[in-house]
Amino acid sequence: MNIEEYISSGVLESYVLGELSESEIQEVEQMSAKYPEIKEEIIQIELSLEKLAFKTAVEPNADVKEKLLAAIEEEETPVIAMKPESSSSWMRYAASVSILVAVSASILAYTYYNNWKNTEAQLTSLIAQNQQIASDYNVVNQRLDKIENDFNVVSSSAFSKVTMKGTDNAPDALADIYWNADTKEVYLSIQNLRELSQEQQFQLWAIIDGQPVDAGTFNLTDGLLKMKNIAGAAAFAVTIEPKGGSINPSLETMQVVGNV
Amino acid sequence: MVLCLFNIISKKRMSKSKQGILDQDQLVQRLKARDKSALSYLYDNYSAAIYGAISRIINDEDVAEEVLQDAFMKYWDKIGSYDDSKGRLFTWMLNLARNLSIDKLRSKEIKKTKKTDDISTNVYNVENENLIYQNEESIGVKDLMKNLREEERKIVEMVYFKGYTQSEIADETGIPLGTVKTRLRMALKNLRSVLGVG
Repeated sequence: MNIEEYISSGVLESYVLGELSESEIQEVEQMSAKYPEIKEEIIQIELSLEKLAFKTAVEPNADVKEKLLAAIEEEETPVIAMKPESSSSWMRYAASVSILVAVSASILAYTYYNNWKNTEAQLTSLIAQNQQIASDYNVVNQRLDKIENDFNVVSSSAFSKVTMKGTDNAPDALADIYWNADTKEVYLSIQNLRELSQEQQFQLWAIIDGQPVDAGTFNLTDGLLKMKNIAGAAAFAVTIEPKGGSINPSLETMQVVGNV
Repeated sequence: MVLCLFNIISKKRMSKSKQGILDQDQLVQRLKARDKSALSYLYDNYSAAIYGAISRIINDEDVAEEVLQDAFMKYWDKIGSYDDSKGRLFTWMLNLARNLSIDKLRSKEIKKTKKTDDISTNVYNVENENLIYQNEESIGVKDLMKNLREEERKIVEMVYFKGYTQSEIADETGIPLGTVKTRLRMALKNLRSVLGVG
């Protein structure tokens, strides 16, 4: 062990101030017995603190000495009954200190246990919130992607817009088709269509060479709906069909129609 | 060794201690032999230094004097357990007085506030600034402290004038314990030449 390092760690000051544990005290005393320079250093520290104490001395009132000497006289008066009395009062004191320590420890333990429990509950709740926020974020992100895509379709010059107006069946009905003739992509935008029963669905038809061709079924929804790819359509129309769609359109149920 | 201490005790003390100049070994021997004149001598020569240490921790004069009396009772009762191979008599006395003071302060604080938790915080709510600086003024400790750097001074004040342990200082100030220890060490080292030690 490096003696200089040991001395400069301040362990000897702690030793002199009585701040070390029993095992640390033993270590210092072993070192001190082994190395004279450590012993010397301890004495120097003791002398420094001693001189400081005398420099900062405060004179107590004169009657303290009298009381002290009187108390010692009294203590040494051989009264047999006094001894167990004083030892039991010491025991009572020790017991009350023990109880105090135990109560303090229990209160602290209980407080910390509660704090720990609260913290744990808060953590669980924060983790749940965090998951909720992440999931909300994903939903919003998907919606944003869709809106961006819709916006690109609507604003693109590659898509031509076909307005389908209401038939006599539904004069107020209205829907738009965005059709890219090159890529054959078809998007449907519902402006106004009526509510259907659970068993029914709308079906989009493209009129190609005078024949209706299925372009997909759909329900009422916001935003653009991607339909089946269509090439060379002359017109688009929407009918009401049983759920799942039909092979041939029920023309009597036609809601909207529009020419390209 | 006790002789050099006399230089810094008041003249009044000097006249009292003329009844006989004892070195530490003789004093301890006589105390261990239950010689009451040795106790009287111990009191005359050490009570002010010990009382200074107590009164820096305990604000209330009556309580501080009560602790001083308890301390000397302890010295008298426990002198048998003092081992001169393990340190100077005064170090033993000072640490005993410091511990009594801190115990007393704690018990008083508990009674006063009826609190059983957070004892250590309550203990140090009682600050003794006025007394400290008053003492510093009157006996030139302020000049003494001028020899220290600010961070060293702070540690010395907390240990010496307020009765903190170094671990408590570390907790209170957030300064790492190792740093507290080295600062106290440097401070005491710097004070040595001023105090005429070594």
